[in-house]
Amino acid sequence: MDSTHQSNILQVDNLNVFYGNFQAVNNVSFYVKQGEIFGLLGPNGAGKTSAFSAIEGLIKQKSGSIMVAGYDTLKQPLQARAAMGVQLQANSFQPELNISEILRLYASIYGLNLTNKMLNALLREINLYDSEDKKFGQLSGGQQQRISLAITTIHDPKLVLLDEPTSGLDPQSRRKLWSHIEAIREKGNAVVLTTHSMEEAEAVCDRISIIDHGHIIATGMPQSLIDKHRNDPEVIAVSRRGKITLEDVFIALTGEAIRP
Amino acid sequence: MEIIIPKTSTVMGALLRADYTTLWRNRRASFMVLIIPMIIVFSWKNLVATAGGAFVLSNSITLGLVAIGLMGYTNSIARDRDKGIFQRLRVSPLPLWTIMVSRLLVQLSLILLLTIIVFIAGFQLDHITMSITGYVLAFLSSIVGGAVYLGLGQAIVGRIQNPETVNSTARLIYFAFIIVGMFGELGVLGDKFKNVVDWTPYGTVKNILAASLEPVRWDNHSTLSLLLTIGYAILFTTMGIKWFKWSTK
Repeated sequence: MDSTHQSNILQVDNLNVFYGNFQAVNNVSFYVKQGEIFGLLGPNGAGKTSAFSAIEGLIKQKSGSIMVAGYDTLKQPLQARAAMGVQLQANSFQPELNISEILRLYASIYGLNLTNKMLNALLREINLYDSEDKKFGQLSGGQQQRISLAITTIHDPKLVLLDEPTSGLDPQSRRKLWSHIEAIREKGNAVVLTTHSMEEAEAVCDRISIIDHGHIIATGMPQSLIDKHRNDPEVIAVSRRGKITLEDVFIALTGEAIRP
Repeated sequence: MEIIIPKTSTVMGALLRADYTTLWRNRRASFMVLIIPMIIVFSWKNLVATAGGAFVLSNSITLGLVAIGLMGYTNSIARDRDKGIFQRLRVSPLPLWTIMVSRLLVQLSLILLLTIIVFIAGFQLDHITMSITGYVLAFLSSIVGGAVYLGLGQAIVGRIQNPETVNSTARLIYFAFIIVGMFGELGVLGDKFKNVVDWTPYGTVKNILAASLEPVRWDNHSTLSLLLTIGYAILFTTMGIKWFKWSTK
């Protein structure tokens, strides 16, 4: 665990999350620094979304603490939520509202007064200037993703949480999103994302943790993890075409069995 | 950048604006909710002379309240929960109660609109007139009565996760209220049944509305009906709050 807690935008300590008797997150600790892109990777049902949900305040942890920009998510939930921008796995907005109405709604919820000039600038920035009167459901997957990310970052949050942000996107939209994520880092804010794409994790994450069965089983920079496990027999056994990738390390650490 | 916690009034304003816009864009559905009360006012014209204007108006408003609570409110909550709209709002820096209060205020407006429309229709179609006090008290009673059905709707949406099952259950209960309430009230199903219906959520709400419209007729039966109506509202709302989950997952 990093000793410089104060510079960490997100500090998760000994997190335990239960659903009834089932323990989804087991004593998980990690931190994310300012200006860092951190990836939380794991197979289906590993505990990624549960850990995310606890950070977002959607579920209450049984024990452990979560600090967002210095605010305890249980003791100061409004401050903690104001310091973060969240993009959920399934993003949905009121289907009756058009894009500009949705943007205005969330701007107000985050305490911002979005003038027409600001709204137009925002719509231009995300290439949706001509779509302001369209409903969210009328947009393509890539356009929906851009709106969703615009709302997530509308208040310039110190911490941005993205749950499988590129799921279902075409390569062009995915590359564009990676650029947006990197732009957030350039501004000094932190990003935590979950993804099933090891290519994505390698391409954009500064540091990753691999979580399985609720436990964190590995943490480090993508290349460091590859280098560390390069000669493991399990990694060599699952590697393809002779080159060791992050995906080989991931499969070797989490097993080849398909998860439900 | 500093952390901004928006004022609750700002958040409420934004939510209300969005919820009223949603209501307006769904005005066809709201219109359907108002149709049955209008049909009753129109088709029960002959009953005005025998049973009285208050009887017709109170039954009409009661069925409108059932429709608002069980059809409008319940289905919109079930749909938005299923789509993840509440989860998106919950990760924002707003007090959670503002989400539901905004929804309820919109329904309250619809209840007031229903009451006004029934009064106007009663006057225009059946020449029913009441005292000013009667109209004002009936407004208040429709709010108390509306709370019963909004609470019942909340309990249904709390207990059942699937929006389609919520919809079919709400329709079934709505249908039961129409058949049992209306026909029981008219005595078509026998006197015993009429007495039972009198103390159901349909009967008590109808009773307080009828008595409010004609305050001089307010008696112990009306007071007991009011107490029972408040009891039903508290019971259903408590169940609804206790069972309610923000997400279907």
